[in-house]
Amino acid sequence: MGAINIENLTKRFGETTAVDDLSLDIADSEFLVLVGPSGCGKSTTLRCLAGLETPTAGDIYIAGDHMNYRVPQNRDIAMVFQDYALYPHMTVRANMRFGLEEEEGYTKAEREARVEEIAETLGISELLDRKPDELSGGQQQRVALGRAIVRDPEVFLMDEPLSNLDAKLRAEMRTELQQLQHRFDVTTVYVTHNQTEAMTMSDRVAVMNDGRLQQVGPPLELYHAPENRFVAGFIGEPMMNFVEGRNEGDRFVGTYVEYPFDATIRDAVDGADDVVLGVRPEDVAVDTADGVDESDLGDYEFVMHVSVIEPHGDQNVVHLNHPGDTSESDLLHALTGGTDIFEQGSEVVVTIDPSHVHVFDGESGDALHNRRIGPEAEVTNV
Amino acid sequence: MSQSTPDTNIDVASLVEDVNLARIGQYVLVILFIGFFLAPLETGIMTALKTNEAVARTIPLAPPTGEGFTWGNLQFALEQLSGAFFNSLFMAIPATIGSVLFGSMAAYGLTMVRWRGQMAFLILFLVGIFLPYQAVLVPLARFWNNIFPLASMLAPTFETLPYLQDYHSNLVPLIITHIAYGIPICTILFRSYYQSLPSSLVEAAKIDGASVSKIYRRIVLPISKPMFGVVFIYQFTQIYNEFLFAFTLITGSDTPEAVVTLILPAVGASTSGIDFGIRMSAAFLAAIPTLIIYVAFAEQFAKGLRTGGG
Repeated sequence: MGAINIENLTKRFGETTAVDDLSLDIADSEFLVLVGPSGCGKSTTLRCLAGLETPTAGDIYIAGDHMNYRVPQNRDIAMVFQDYALYPHMTVRANMRFGLEEEEGYTKAEREARVEEIAETLGISELLDRKPDELSGGQQQRVALGRAIVRDPEVFLMDEPLSNLDAKLRAEMRTELQQLQHRFDVTTVYVTHNQTEAMTMSDRVAVMNDGRLQQVGPPLELYHAPENRFVAGFIGEPMMNFVEGRNEGDRFVGTYVEYPFDATIRDAVDGADDVVLGVRPEDVAVDTADGVDESDLGDYEFVMHVSVIEPHGDQNVVHLNHPGDTSESDLLHALTGGTDIFEQGSEVVVTIDPSHVHVFDGESGDALHNRRIGPEAEVTNV
Repeated sequence: MSQSTPDTNIDVASLVEDVNLARIGQYVLVILFIGFFLAPLETGIMTALKTNEAVARTIPLAPPTGEGFTWGNLQFALEQLSGAFFNSLFMAIPATIGSVLFGSMAAYGLTMVRWRGQMAFLILFLVGIFLPYQAVLVPLARFWNNIFPLASMLAPTFETLPYLQDYHSNLVPLIITHIAYGIPICTILFRSYYQSLPSSLVEAAKIDGASVSKIYRRIVLPISKPMFGVVFIYQFTQIYNEFLFAFTLITGSDTPEAVVTLILPAVGASTSGIDFGIRMSAAFLAAIPTLIIYVAFAEQFAKGLRTGGG
């Protein structure tokens, strides 16, 4: 069936290495999202899978067959492009039929029937005789999907298919794509730079940066147990807070904050010199500082200063600074409930629970310690 | 609609305000330039419609009056040129279609299909553009006359064809020469257009299983219709108006297969002097086919220029 194995894939363009020694196994009918910032090599990986680029080194197998030297049409794949790439001079019907013309075993009538059937499923039957430029963005998107589905491939490859849609339509199409994928049960590799799409749609997410695979796993594993600082920062919105400092054995010492390590963390970070403390904005608890004396504060509590508030309605993003810090950049961002309003410029007490703290190595960025969930719970079971 | 229309009333005060020296200067300059460009054209048309006597007596810009007016010049010029028109079109249309089609194919191969040594071929095409025609005239004439006398080989076949005579075969080498020398510029024009097309179209077709030739036929060719308009007009004008190759390969205005550009210098010239009326008539008649092509392809032309290729 449509399982994909990528072994030590490397792709260079002249001097630049777009993909560096990437190995990845994708199970049959899995929905895998390749995510990363622009230029991280995710699209190149997809294009190697499609056969639009030839790998410099490494092997690609689809359904157990070696693919490196096969032209795209013999790979049994279908691809959806970011700009949809609908043939502008053909009607929707002709667009969808185009790929079928090269497939064997269809009569003319069967081809027509197949096109109509898929158009019905996607709700674009009434658009069949229109040209692409008479369609809205969402409709074009559907036609592009239809053109891919109609050929009944082993693998769907999607290159940022939703990025040209407006936010509302994107959310709708996200759900619809997921449903379609379940329905046709086809292995799907989906490239995006949008981490919301990665989190919500995928069975597994593969994060790439600088041509290298950073981590592969179910979305929540990546969220709660990132393997390095890059993954921790990339997954999650607003981004995880990072505070740089030193490991002094029993405590973290940064420019403005000191944070005591408990026994578990102490063991995990043992030996590291420079460390980075990571904490998600929703794990930063904020409370008013009215009537609180500095000396009453616990080990995990700090007095901070609210520099900016971004209200979102359901929640507020609070930008926090240390009172002694005069620089422009914020020390921490915190997420608070929509009704917890803090005044800009006011003093607040910030609490960071030690069980929510991640610690990364300052040099390599590797995760030394990830947050704990429940007493001994495995993070992957969340 | 029934509203009082204060804004359509001419505001005299503001009009006066707008009139200043710079503005007047601007308009005077514009009118001068229009006159500069239109006067020769007007003179030409007027001359074409005047008798020889009227040309000598009246000022060139003045319209013909009374006795001085005649259709005779046009009639005479048409008689002189009618054979040449057929020859020219018989030569220019296949030559244009050939060079445009091959140019577009070459551009497709050089931009949208990847293969080794592409750059070297592109450079060859570029060299082809800058090759001066004068440099190849002698070898060209020797090739078509001595080494590969295609015209005389084809003459018997041409005699049997309807509407054609054996001498029309002399135009075939000219057609092939024009195609060959037209391909480089057509290729470069199409190349810039193809580079502006999204590469995902061709990639989508590849994934859909289309072969290189099917992608050209079904996707690239239909999409490049506007560019075909531009290149077709350009190339037709070039080939129709070309003189040097025609002069070299057809040899003279007295031959029956002579094209318009060969006949034109001879029309209206005789030992008794030059008949300007006839010459102007012939010149305007000769320009008509290119004008027709421009009008016929105007829409494609505008679209092609707009899409940024040309």
